[in-house]
Amino acid sequence: MSNIKNILLYCLKQLNGERTIYSIYHLLNGKKSSQTLQDAHLFSLKRYFRILEPLTRDAFDEIFNHLLEKKLVEACGEQRFLLTSAGEDYLLNHAQPYYVNGWRYQPFTLIVWERLSLLVQVTSNFTFQETKYIPIQKNVEVHNWLKGFLKSTSVPKAELGKSLFFELVQILEHARDVNPEVLIFRLTGYKQIGRTSSQIAKELELDSIQYHLEFINAIHCLLHFVESEPARFKVLSSLFTNLDHKDTLTLSARKTLVLLNQGFTTEEIAGIRNLKISTIEDHLVEFALNVKDFSINSFVDEEIQLMILGISRQESTRQLKVIRNHIKTASYFQIRLVLAKYGDRQWN
Amino acid sequence: MNKHFGYKTFKTGQKEVISSLLGGNHTIAMLPTGTGKSLCYQLPAYCLDGQILIISPLLSLMQDQVEQLMKFGEKRVIALNSFLDAEKRGYVLRNLKQYKYIFVSPEMLSMPIIMKKLQALTVSLFVVDEAHCISQWGYDFRPEYSKLGDYRKQLGNPLTLALTATATKKVREDIIQSLDLQKFTKIESTIDRPNIAFYIEEVTNYYDKQSRLIELVRKLQKPGIIYFSSKKIAEQMASLLADKGITRAMAYHGGLDQEQRILIQQQFIHGQLDIICATSAFGMGVNKENIRFIVHYHMPMQIESYLQEIGRAGRDGEDSVAILLYARGDDQLPIQLAEGELPSEQQIDWLFSYFPKEEILIDHFLDMNQHLREDGGFSEVQWRIIQDFIKKSLKFTNLEQAKQRLKDFVNARLKVKKDNIHYLKKWIESKSCRRELILNYFEDELVLEKIQNCCDVCGIQLEQYQAAEDFHSHPDNAKMWKDYLANILLNRELR
Repeated sequence: MSNIKNILLYCLKQLNGERTIYSIYHLLNGKKSSQTLQDAHLFSLKRYFRILEPLTRDAFDEIFNHLLEKKLVEACGEQRFLLTSAGEDYLLNHAQPYYVNGWRYQPFTLIVWERLSLLVQVTSNFTFQETKYIPIQKNVEVHNWLKGFLKSTSVPKAELGKSLFFELVQILEHARDVNPEVLIFRLTGYKQIGRTSSQIAKELELDSIQYHLEFINAIHCLLHFVESEPARFKVLSSLFTNLDHKDTLTLSARKTLVLLNQGFTTEEIAGIRNLKISTIEDHLVEFALNVKDFSINSFVDEEIQLMILGISRQESTRQLKVIRNHIKTASYFQIRLVLAKYGDRQWN
Repeated sequence: MNKHFGYKTFKTGQKEVISSLLGGNHTIAMLPTGTGKSLCYQLPAYCLDGQILIISPLLSLMQDQVEQLMKFGEKRVIALNSFLDAEKRGYVLRNLKQYKYIFVSPEMLSMPIIMKKLQALTVSLFVVDEAHCISQWGYDFRPEYSKLGDYRKQLGNPLTLALTATATKKVREDIIQSLDLQKFTKIESTIDRPNIAFYIEEVTNYYDKQSRLIELVRKLQKPGIIYFSSKKIAEQMASLLADKGITRAMAYHGGLDQEQRILIQQQFIHGQLDIICATSAFGMGVNKENIRFIVHYHMPMQIESYLQEIGRAGRDGEDSVAILLYARGDDQLPIQLAEGELPSEQQIDWLFSYFPKEEILIDHFLDMNQHLREDGGFSEVQWRIIQDFIKKSLKFTNLEQAKQRLKDFVNARLKVKKDNIHYLKKWIESKSCRRELILNYFEDELVLEKIQNCCDVCGIQLEQYQAAEDFHSHPDNAKMWKDYLANILLNRELR
């Protein structure tokens, strides 16, 4: 079983002392700041983005102090740490959660869970020909999705229970390092009410944050299997329909994007929105990270782009200051933009 | 009736209320908790043209009633409240005519656009749920409820049904006056629930209370509910009971997320839990027939809510018991809670010192300066009281006068609350029949026949509420995840 200490160690290794430990906290928490979004890319930590939303700062500190006490990490600057050789060993001997992919799945993990939970309850009551029951999920959007699914599915109603059962079993029996109990016992069916997260955590002797990680891993596992072979999972692939992807941009950035697409310049947008230019620049960096086909060529000459990437590789760093010292003609904004757009690709 | 609502017979008072309404009479009905008040407007709806408008004070209550109606296949139901998103709201308001049951919060009714839409309909029945919230004397006074009489007039004085839980005579008179009902039928079924015995037990201190509770939970026939005034203690006790393997217990309170609350409530209803350690947040929508006991670990705030809580026991008519554990000094906690619900004099003085002296709209000032809430340490409830008060009294030009009125209002509320607590304490310490005192309080008629299992004063044996043998929780049958899944999806055991 993977654990949170292990994720922290992995993140610290990736950061390589170039960011403070709290950048990890923001990453796991899913803070929607340009800095955090950018770090997730630069240090190849996207899969851990937003996977521990309920993690409090105190709990984070506690886990981190534990790493310190066990001498798995050592300080290399203010709030900056590197792995000790014991830390490296620990990391090698403990697996990372296999399916967790926060960047890709976290925007709709909750809604997929709510859909699955309602789908199973409704299907179960179909199977037992019960029409009177209280739906366990209250989200109106989820109810509407279910109505749409029942209308459009090609699976006959009588077969639904069986199909759903075999699809879930197919995935969970072949999944690597997933405990199906964290997910299955939460499901409600005919005359069987699911357990709460805290009840299962207690039964499995997990603390709540560890349970959360296991649960996220299980849902991401379903998503992973369904996404790679949708034809094989006719019922479960419906969980994916009409999902909203707009979530990956911050609200403010979305407004900026609209104006940018209308042809306004950075300065003009700052003026219209009554924001600082640096804020608009943060948004542009977000677009470089998230918006497919977003071109940075109008903000940085291609020649400078190549230079920045060259230096970054040569010096093995994503620290802006180091790069800037080599290329005085590039602004910090331009360096960030280039690293956001290509940094990730070049390094993996 | 069975077809639409799944009931075969009427419960106390229902038939009388329904006949009165069908006879075209405004009706005020006080029915005991757990007697299916909502049927009183659901059934007449089938005989009345036009819409049934139901005013409900709590979003969760509204949501629950909508769900209950939908459960029996009624689709023409809508709840107009802040849950409705803007897009859906536009659609709903344009197509209001297609709904039969319209639930609405008093805040929504105060919006001119909503009122205009409602005026275009034929409201054939105006239902005020939880009507005791109208009265200042009630324990659950809601200032926004006091305008319902106006709204009713704006809708052309439709046929009206005021439903109230246990309320004193004073409160009932307030309801009638506030709704401006000239002629009306009063249906007051007795609040007495003869199958629920009262049992007050005095313990010497906190530790004794805890061990006594464990002993009771061990012995009493389950399922049961234990009420607490504190989330934290409810949690602690639930863990204690579950960890010691005494019983399948869970805590339920407003601090849990919605999914957990629904699951725990449903687990209890489906017999997967024996005990709920609850705060007053628990109870709504819990239609469970066979609850055998209610224990109050802390002293309740007033007799009305106490009756409502113990009224959840024995809906199947079988013998049940309401136990209140009392230690000297227990009245301190409810007094503290009551004080905490209202802004203090110091807080009011502090706030008014920030108000601009020129004549401007104070409510606008409050909206613009929300930080004052945090700075002055106002709780949500306290802040709401202030806002309501300010909104109602825009005409003040004299700030000093306004301040004094607010203080008077707060003091009056506090007095009502303290009187309630004081009365409850007297009831606990009294040596007369518990049932008789309560019936007197509500000016209910005394039952002539003496109830056999009445109360601890008249003499009852707790032993008779014990489980026949030591209670053993049934282990959940499916231990393996695959079996569990097969059980719910395949209608057969997977071999």
